[in-house]
Amino acid sequence: MATPNVSADLVWELVRNNNSYLVKRKESGGVQFSRDPLNLTNVHSRKYAGFVNTKAIGVQPAEKNGVKVISKKESAAQKPAKSTTAVVHNGGQPTRKIYRTVANQTAKSGYRPDLREAAVARVSAVRQSQREPKPTPEKKPRGAKAKKAAAPES
Amino acid sequence: MASRPTVTIIGKDGSPSGATHTIPTVFASPIRPDIVQQVHTGMAKNKRQPYAVSEKAGHQTSAESWGTGRAVARIPRVSGGGTHRAGQAAFGNMCRSGRMFAPTKIWRKWHIKINQGQKRFATASALAASAVPPLLLARGHQISSVPEVPLVVDSAAFEGGAAAKTASALAILNAVGAAADIEKAKKSKKLRAGKGKLRGRRHRQRRGPLVIYDPEVDGKELVTGTRNLPGVETSSVYALNLLQLAPGGHLGRFIVWTSAAFKALDKIYGTTTKPSELKKDFLLPSNLVSQSDLSRLINSSEIQSVLNAPKGGPLTKRAAVQKNPLRNKQVLLRFNPYHSTFVKNQVGQQKAEAGKPPKPPKAFLELLREN
Repeated sequence: MATPNVSADLVWELVRNNNSYLVKRKESGGVQFSRDPLNLTNVHSRKYAGFVNTKAIGVQPAEKNGVKVISKKESAAQKPAKSTTAVVHNGGQPTRKIYRTVANQTAKSGYRPDLREAAVARVSAVRQSQREPKPTPEKKPRGAKAKKAAAPES
Repeated sequence: MASRPTVTIIGKDGSPSGATHTIPTVFASPIRPDIVQQVHTGMAKNKRQPYAVSEKAGHQTSAESWGTGRAVARIPRVSGGGTHRAGQAAFGNMCRSGRMFAPTKIWRKWHIKINQGQKRFATASALAASAVPPLLLARGHQISSVPEVPLVVDSAAFEGGAAAKTASALAILNAVGAAADIEKAKKSKKLRAGKGKLRGRRHRQRRGPLVIYDPEVDGKELVTGTRNLPGVETSSVYALNLLQLAPGGHLGRFIVWTSAAFKALDKIYGTTTKPSELKKDFLLPSNLVSQSDLSRLINSSEIQSVLNAPKGGPLTKRAAVQKNPLRNKQVLLRFNPYHSTFVKNQVGQQKAEAGKPPKPPKAFLELLREN
């Protein structure tokens, strides 16, 4: 932050009750989700609020089954155009390899070790969502229906 | 403050012009949403037009109560006959075509006086918040292509009516990265729900960037150039308005400064120690804490040096699975350390000694059989 009066802790107190990414629902005991692209779990919380924290990781699906990993640059906090870097892991890569690079990016370099598990989990979830669904197997009729189905053939 | 942070001034084409300017002290004022919200609610009320129902409404009849003894309620009833209206109850707020409860009056207290100190505090606070990218994002501004926050555009770009036409003004705003925010405001125009549509508030839309200029240097042509751009607002740096700086009382408006306006801020607001030149008796509010970063506070040597060592050892770990000491030798040994000797000496295999037990000593028997 450019000015010393502002910190991530202060910003969180300012935005925790209401912000443009926040989704509040009365169901399920008033769940609070976040639409922030830098939020790994989509849960509205201090830890995962990427737009508030100086360092954050985001995982988004990319084209052709790819995975885009966004991270925030601490040095360019005041320069929104340059403040994030995006790495696209293309769809041909094995998922476990992406897990490893993402784990290294978050934890090994000491960037945000606490986000490693969530980041890997999100990569997994993104890849899972990109998989083509299996065709539903044909229904095997049983009992009276089976007899009925078999009867006209014979 | 060791070194005053600076901001680069951006040229007409969106690339840095090379010049920089130190960030005015007003951007270091405390960010206080409570003050901003309170001042905003007050200020938003100051443009209201009085309204009221007609003074006569519900009272244009000569109704009188029938009194007791007629087996009807004692409410005033319309006199006369020959029409259905006769004998109907009147005046009361529970009556059809009666007066409303507590009819609204035009002498309601429409306007709110706000202390000048609070107004100035709120403005300074809103300006400080406009330099914090997360707060801009939290307000919903699209700033992903903005080169720097606060965004200062060289006044040369607006010189001599260069932004007098909408197309040229839009070109400048697009070049400095405000395109996405304008586009968002443009696309957000929706028909208002409810009766407001009939009362001069037909549409509702998002707010885009606020262009703040210095009328002495930049001229006023950019006002005409931007007034047809949806969501874009303009304001003179000498007449900033909290309703524009924090719409809805929400901090973090996206502001495009002209360099002349940005430079004028130091003159207008002064610093925390040097009074403002233009506002009488005004010093910028100062922060109560100089460091608001909690983790840095906690990890500072001043705090760490006076902390006590953590009390109590590490917690005893419980086995996740309860092991059976009768089967698991290690667990058995923990309960019964003698077990290893017991096994080694084959105590379990030894037979009890054969033969009769030795006779008790004579003295003992004598003692036993006394008397």
